[in-house]
Amino acid sequence: MSFDVDSFFNSMIQSLIYFPNTLKLIFIHFVVGLILGGIIAFIRFYEVPVLDKIFAAFITVYQGIPVMVAVMIYNLLFLNCADDVFRYFNINLTMASVDLLWVGVFTLSLSSICNISEVIRGALQSVDFGQNEAAYSIGLTKLQTIRRIIIPQIIPVAIPTLTNTTIGLIKNSSVVSVIGIMEVTRSSLIASQVKYTFFEGYLAAAAVYWIFSIFIEFVFGRAEKYSGRYRRAV
Amino acid sequence: MSGSLFSWDRFFSSVPQILPYLAVTFKIVTAATIAGVLLGILVALVRIYKTPVLYQICTVYISFMRGTPMLVQMFLILYGLPFFLGPIFGSNIGRTWDKIYFAYITFILNQGAFLSSIFYSAIKSVPIGQTESGLSVGLTGFQNFTRIVLPQAVKTALPPFGTDFVGLFQNVSLVSTIGVIDIMGRATSIGSATNHALEAYLFVALIYIIISLFMRYVFAKTDVKLSFGKKVGQ
Repeated sequence: MSFDVDSFFNSMIQSLIYFPNTLKLIFIHFVVGLILGGIIAFIRFYEVPVLDKIFAAFITVYQGIPVMVAVMIYNLLFLNCADDVFRYFNINLTMASVDLLWVGVFTLSLSSICNISEVIRGALQSVDFGQNEAAYSIGLTKLQTIRRIIIPQIIPVAIPTLTNTTIGLIKNSSVVSVIGIMEVTRSSLIASQVKYTFFEGYLAAAAVYWIFSIFIEFVFGRAEKYSGRYRRAV
Repeated sequence: MSGSLFSWDRFFSSVPQILPYLAVTFKIVTAATIAGVLLGILVALVRIYKTPVLYQICTVYISFMRGTPMLVQMFLILYGLPFFLGPIFGSNIGRTWDKIYFAYITFILNQGAFLSSIFYSAIKSVPIGQTESGLSVGLTGFQNFTRIVLPQAVKTALPPFGTDFVGLFQNVSLVSTIGVIDIMGRATSIGSATNHALEAYLFVALIYIIISLFMRYVFAKTDVKLSFGKKVGQ
C-alpha cells in the first residue's frame, strides 16, 4: 500500500467543486441562527411572559438531540409528508423537485438557533443591568436601548464563544451528508471510488475543513479586535 | 411505504429492540472519557511546560482535532490505521478488527484534544501566587500540584467538562456510519427491516434527550457542591 498523491489531489478538486454547497449550508444556518437565536435570547433575557418559558423548555430539550438523529427524522418526515403539505398549502412544488440540501439547512438551522441563543444570552448577562437603567433615565425607549447600548456591548463579549460555536456548526455540516447531500465530505469520495483510495479522499476532506476552520478563526479574531476597540482594560 | 406514518404499537415494540444497544454507547463514552482525561492531562502538561518538539506536535494535533469534523476523523482512522499498520502486522486489520475499536481510538483522540484545552485553561487559571506560597511552606513540586493547584483547577474545569461530556454523548451517535451497531445503528436496521424507521428514530431521540437532561442536572448539582465556600460575583 502506498499513498496515492494523484487521487488525493483529485479528491481535493472534487471537494472544492462542491465547497459552495457546504458554504451554503454553513452560511444560511449561521445567519438564521444569529437572527432567530438573538431574538430568542432577548426574549428570555427580558423575561417576556409565557414566551420565555416556552423557548427555555424548547432549547433545553432540543439541545439534547444529536444532529445525526435529527437529520434522519426530518429526512424521513420530508420524504413522507412533503407532497401532502405542499398540496395542502397549494404550493406548486413536489417533493422530488426540492433539493435535499434544504432538509439539511433546516436541521442545522434549528440546532444553531439553540446554540447561538445560548451564546448571546450568556453575553447579555455579562452586560451590567445598570446600563439599561441609565439608558431609561436619559429617555431612550427599550428598542433604542437594545440597538444603541446593549448590542454594541455584547458583540465583543460574544465573539470568542461564537467562534467555537461556528466551528462546531461547520463540523456539524458534514453530518448531514448521511442523507445524501453533496458537500465536501461526500464529494471528496467521488475520486476515491475509482481506485478505492478512501484514506486519501477523507484526508483531502479533512484538509479542506481544517483550512476553512483556521480561516474562520482568523476572521473572527480580527472581528473581535475590531468590535472591541472601544473597550478599555479595567 | 405502507400504512400510517406513526403508530404507538411500533414505537413500543422498538423499545426492547433498541435499549440493549445503549450499552455500546456507554462503552464508547466510558472509554473515551477515562483515556481522554489521561491523554488530556498529558497534553495539557506538555503545553504548560512547553516541552520542545512535543509542544509543536501537540499544537498541530489540537488544531487538527478542533478544525475537522468528527465524521471525517472517524473515517480517517478507519481507513488510515490499516494503511499504516497493515505493513507491520502483515494483515488487513480493517477487516479483522471489530469496528468498535476504531470508534474507541477516534473518540479517545478527539476527547484528548478537547479535554486538554479545558484542563490547560483550568490549570492556567490558578494564580501563580498559589504555587509560590505552596513552595515557600516546603511542599515539593508534585505535592504542590496535586494538593494546591489541582483541587482549584478541577472547580474551574468542571462546567466546560460537563458541556463537553454531553456533547460526547451526542457525537457517539456518529459511530453508526462506520458500521458499529449502537442505538442509532439499531434504529436504522429496524427501519430497513420493517420499512418503519420513524418510531425507532423518535425513541432514539427520546433516549438522547433524557440522557442529556440527566447529565446537565448532575453536573449542575456537582457544580453547586464544588463551588461551596467560593465567593460569588468575582
